[in-house]
Amino acid sequence: MKKLSITLLFTALFVALSSCDVLDTEPETSLDPSAALVDGASAQAVLLGAYSRMQVGSYYGIEYTLNNDLIADNARYQGFFDSQLELDSGSVPISNLWIGNAWVSIYSVVNIANQLIDGVPTIDDETFATRDRVLGEAHAIRALAYFDLLRVFGEHFDTGSSYGMPLLLEPIENNDFNLIPDLARSSVADTYNQIVSDLDTALQLMGEGYVDNTQLSYWSTLALRARVNLYRQDYAAAFDDADEVINSGPAVLEDDLDNVYLTTGTSSESIFDLVFSDQDQSAYYTFAYQRDEYNVDPSLTEAFEDGDARRNYIEFVRGSDRPVKWSDPDNANNAKILRLAEMYLIRSEAAVYREATPAPALGADDINVIRNRAGLGDAGPFTTEEEYIDALLQERRIELNYEGHRFFDLVRYDRVGDVLGRDDFRKVLPIPRDELLASDNLEQNPNYPLP
Amino acid sequence: MSTKRYLQIFTSALFGICLMMSTAYAQQTVTGQVTDVNNEPLVGATVIVSGTDRGASTDVNGEFSLQASPDETLIVRFVGYQSQEILVGDQTEFNITLRVDDQLLDDVVVIGYGVQQRSDLTGSIASISGDQIQNQPIASLDGALQGRASGVFVSTPSGTPGAGITMNIRGQTSISGSSEPLYVIDGVPIISEDLSGLFSGGQATNSLADLNPNDIESIEILKDASATAIYGSRGANGVVLISTKRGVAGESTIGFSAYTGFQQVTNKLDMHSSQEFLELMNDAARQDNRDLGTNYSDTHVSDIWGFDPNDPDLQNTVWYDEIFRTSPISNYELNASGGTENTRYFTSLSYFDQEGTQFGTGFERISGRINLDTKINDWLDFGTNLTLNRTLQDRVINDNSLYGVVINTLAGDPLMPVYEEDGSYADPFNYFGWWMLDNPLLIANEYQRFTNTTRGIGTIFGVANITDELTFRSSLNIDYTSLEDEAYTPIISRESQNAQRNGFGNFGTTQDFTWLVENYLSYANTFGDRHNVNGLVGTSFQQSNRDFSSINAQGFPSDQFIKLSVASQVTSASTAGTSWGLASYFFRGNYTFDNRYLFTVTGRADGSSRFGENFRYGFFPSGSFAWRMTNESFMQNQTIFSELKPRISYGITGNQEGIGNFASRGLFGVSDYRATPSLVPTQLSNANLTWESTKQLDIGVDIGLFDDRINMSADYFIKNTEDLLLNRLIPGISGFSSVTDNIGRVENRGFEFDVRGVVLADSDFSWTSSFNISFIRNEVKELEVNNQVLSDSHILSEGQPIGTFYLIDHEGVDPETGNMLWIDANDDGVIDSGDRMIVGNAQPDFYGGFGNSFSYRGFDMNVLFQFTYGNDIFNHSRASYENLGWSRIGIPGIFPLPDGNNHRLADDRWMEPGDVTDIPRASLTNQNWREYSTRWLEDGSYLRLKTLTLGYNFSPEFTQRLGMRTLRIYTQGQNLLTFTNYTGLDPEVNQNARNPLLAGSDFGTLPQSRTISFGINLEF
Repeated sequence: MKKLSITLLFTALFVALSSCDVLDTEPETSLDPSAALVDGASAQAVLLGAYSRMQVGSYYGIEYTLNNDLIADNARYQGFFDSQLELDSGSVPISNLWIGNAWVSIYSVVNIANQLIDGVPTIDDETFATRDRVLGEAHAIRALAYFDLLRVFGEHFDTGSSYGMPLLLEPIENNDFNLIPDLARSSVADTYNQIVSDLDTALQLMGEGYVDNTQLSYWSTLALRARVNLYRQDYAAAFDDADEVINSGPAVLEDDLDNVYLTTGTSSESIFDLVFSDQDQSAYYTFAYQRDEYNVDPSLTEAFEDGDARRNYIEFVRGSDRPVKWSDPDNANNAKILRLAEMYLIRSEAAVYREATPAPALGADDINVIRNRAGLGDAGPFTTEEEYIDALLQERRIELNYEGHRFFDLVRYDRVGDVLGRDDFRKVLPIPRDELLASDNLEQNPNYPLP
Repeated sequence: MSTKRYLQIFTSALFGICLMMSTAYAQQTVTGQVTDVNNEPLVGATVIVSGTDRGASTDVNGEFSLQASPDETLIVRFVGYQSQEILVGDQTEFNITLRVDDQLLDDVVVIGYGVQQRSDLTGSIASISGDQIQNQPIASLDGALQGRASGVFVSTPSGTPGAGITMNIRGQTSISGSSEPLYVIDGVPIISEDLSGLFSGGQATNSLADLNPNDIESIEILKDASATAIYGSRGANGVVLISTKRGVAGESTIGFSAYTGFQQVTNKLDMHSSQEFLELMNDAARQDNRDLGTNYSDTHVSDIWGFDPNDPDLQNTVWYDEIFRTSPISNYELNASGGTENTRYFTSLSYFDQEGTQFGTGFERISGRINLDTKINDWLDFGTNLTLNRTLQDRVINDNSLYGVVINTLAGDPLMPVYEEDGSYADPFNYFGWWMLDNPLLIANEYQRFTNTTRGIGTIFGVANITDELTFRSSLNIDYTSLEDEAYTPIISRESQNAQRNGFGNFGTTQDFTWLVENYLSYANTFGDRHNVNGLVGTSFQQSNRDFSSINAQGFPSDQFIKLSVASQVTSASTAGTSWGLASYFFRGNYTFDNRYLFTVTGRADGSSRFGENFRYGFFPSGSFAWRMTNESFMQNQTIFSELKPRISYGITGNQEGIGNFASRGLFGVSDYRATPSLVPTQLSNANLTWESTKQLDIGVDIGLFDDRINMSADYFIKNTEDLLLNRLIPGISGFSSVTDNIGRVENRGFEFDVRGVVLADSDFSWTSSFNISFIRNEVKELEVNNQVLSDSHILSEGQPIGTFYLIDHEGVDPETGNMLWIDANDDGVIDSGDRMIVGNAQPDFYGGFGNSFSYRGFDMNVLFQFTYGNDIFNHSRASYENLGWSRIGIPGIFPLPDGNNHRLADDRWMEPGDVTDIPRASLTNQNWREYSTRWLEDGSYLRLKTLTLGYNFSPEFTQRLGMRTLRIYTQGQNLLTFTNYTGLDPEVNQNARNPLLAGSDFGTLPQSRTISFGINLEF
């Protein structure tokens, strides 16, 4: 009898423990997508998620900005990482680590924007007062991401080219990887049209009253449109946008450049800073100052005129020149994505080219605003277009060094051959190897190999 | 025998006093002779009266005489032979025949959920007895298995104390997941992965080092599907069953063992002296004059630097001598075991202490165990196993890390001292060599990194014998680990200074709590003499919860503090948690017909929380058959074969280790922007995600010859792993580069062979020998995307094995110019990473071990060699210490700053036109240096004298006088000799111990240790 009762006890234990469902585990730090975008507060959180994704290392956390100077003549590689070595050499293989990462991380920003653009209009939340602003901002974010993709992977300098970006404008259905569309590339013109249309929608939805220089608010979106219009050579539109930002926007030039670079916050000339802090660090200080992947190329140091205050932001340390534009050892300095000085240079360039006949003389004033601020005398007057272009590229190189402009400028003015000694096809980087492998419809850029 | 008396004996022994004890029973003189099977007398065999200190050893005629009462038991032992126990009874004269103890066939073998006679096995299982790994001067049991069984590849990827060890059973079955076997201790599948969150370079911590190897009674390695399928979705990589020691009724013993020894690195690199360093730099300038048309003087570099190469007072630091040391290792252990008919116990307490051969490393463990078995009544048994351990690991950063110790030493500038005259650490940035990023001695001594683990594994079980045939077993098991990581990077370090952080520290914890409930019913019966049936059916439920925390802080007042409370700023803090669960149902059936035909079927259904909703449950079956030919009538008249057993098995097992706990789901995670929380998509969903499944066919034969004097096993297997858990490339327009998916196929094919035999066994001298070898071919059969470049040096490619090297190749050195002849594989006129090609792999052609045991009277000697042949090593370290003067950061004509010093191998470099060598000319510019090239690819084959043990067992007469039962002293050497052509520190290294895909790279890895130890074992 005892034998039986103990056996029964065992059996009871056995049944009791079998019934508790050990397979029912839930993640503790993640959410199901269905619970992610449900009300105004979560829409705001997803919107900030887009900025959080811009902060990754391969995008504005460092590499998108500095690799541009590395592949041009501003920075040189003396470090360890092969990815940076390949960029510095100018011969970028399709397996380059950064291009693969950049493609995915910039598109991850596109996808967050797509989710918002798709979901925000139908969120059932009467207290969601910032609905239009969030929606507008999502359009602006998508425009920035596509423009940044186009500059690296597409023939942005040729609006007649078919090598634009694949345009994904909807969220991935059910978050299911089986339902990712296999898109072909759109033309450059279509890509620009999408970007500009997103920017127009954004400005319309946000309104002038939305001022914030740490997000894509009204003024930063307008400044971005100025830059986009400049790249696509719609100089009249570029002039108007830059002019409006300069005249009506909240940003004003700093007299003292230390306020721009030696601060962990925004400056008065910030139009769009991506904010980093000691709790949410970038990698600019680490890579540009501590390590050797982005040491200053001697040709940049030599390009400074005597007495240029901007020369102070290059220091000779541990055997090499290094930039001190991000001076905080906790990597709390912001990424300076759009600032007012660039608007002056855009307005200068647009002023010269907005009429059918280039007018070099009209470019001097805005260039000189920037030169004078740096303690230099006036340049010009410019009589020939060539003179003007040389001065413009020089000024842009000096003013915007290590801020991610140099290579694109050389491409826009077709100087990768003259200045960098590169083949013409290297004006764009290759479509990454993994993307070509994962997609049947994606086309490689001209002259680059297939996997 | 009372506890008090145990203590008496122990205490008296400790003080060297012999106590002759009187006895309480009526004793009589018993005599006898001990012989071997050939009736030869065994001289020096021990005869002990169980549970007493009475005993004798046999004389030259093998005869003995002692006092014993009829209710006592005699235990007869002789080294190399099986012990026997005989009840005295009415007998006063005994003829005792001992059999050679090399009979595998009659051993009881532990299998999944049970035990079996080896002769009844139908699967492939290797057994290693605890004796073989006892008292070896190593921290964890897995390291002791190297070279001991075929099909089992064990590699110690570095000499870091307490670091992880790689074990693969029958090849690498997984690409992204783990290929490590499942470890099961006394029936409990334990957590065996690295739980530490502390960055330390490529080496993991080893959670198996939480266990005391001396507690182990036996280890069984389950290799084929027939043996492993009962572990279902975790059986694909093989299973290691570990049984700990248990008490034996009647025989009560107290044992004490201790060893102590010292360790040194197996090898140091022979670097240039300061004079040679300067001369090489000057030669580099001279060579550039010839090849590049520069116009440097003969002493160009030494002049610029301001040195005279011939100055006898030049600073000349031998960096490898500075970072390495001779360090002690020791272990002390006390155990007691014994019991009565109804209650048996084994308890142990041990302390292991190892200082590493490199400054700043060490490992300590204190562990206790109690295993208890109680018979409650004639049908019910209860038992408990409990072990509690504390380990302290003193760590440093190593391998491919900016601030590793060995890596900074690699090309260390000999002109730089370790310390400045004021006693402070020299700063490499004040010296010419570019290589060092910080002084390695500073890193080794001043960086603080500790991982402290407390681990308890407990089991309580009951066994009810419901009828004679039917038994029910139920157990509840817990595996609990609480781990703390603590790290401090000092203010004086370059790492802290460059980042202006004033010292920074980290504190992290990991707590893992895993519980497991298992119940099974087993049945055994024989019908009509010839039909033997047994089987079991059961369930198993397991769940694991893991919580992490981490705090980082910086701004310390001085390097005397490492606790975070004194830091001025907390830079980040986080906690997180995760969990998984497994619900399983299993069965096994064995049927034997007439002891000739053996059939086994097993199956397990596993439900895992990790699998996608479409594939929650998997079923893993196996079947096997063996034929004991020696029991056939036609084999009865032969005397050669004592066993001849061909066997075949086939089955399917799984691996769920490569899947993250929630890998199948679409997820949003939390991030932040401007200190405000944000939501970001972190994963796309894959509802079809499921286990990796391995189909294995095994054909083998077990052979016993000459009354089991020689035993052999040979197996051929094909293991096909499908549905590999891999990252499937997906279009990046989704914002993700990949999802975890079941794609791809890997095959492991192999032949393995084991032989053990008694070469000689006479009364004085015995010699047993063993040899094993495995030929395993690993091949990636199918990938979603072929030719995946995994790193700067590795590729994953169909038709190639895992761990394939992908490097720029060369055709040697041009005898005319001394420059490397690189192969422009893609013919584009430039040599760059696009010219890489498949050039070799890290998989050995074959590996194995051979051992010999000798005993002569009281002496015994054990020798174990272990070898690996045909694997390549990418000696990445050479890229730094064979720079040949290349100046990465300086300016050759103005101020050359080379990578650093060179290895003496550079003396074979090209010097004059016509020189034929494989080392190019020196140069101040980057002429011949390609980091990821075959210039550093070497043959990694080696033969190693793994262990050599020499021991002496004192005779019973002597030990009895000391009041001891046995006394043994021994000395042991570990890694005494290594034969290899590899030029790096040690051929058995792997900088990426955590990632088998990147196997076979050596970059700043701490080499193995050579250990010599002395020990004593005594038993009361």
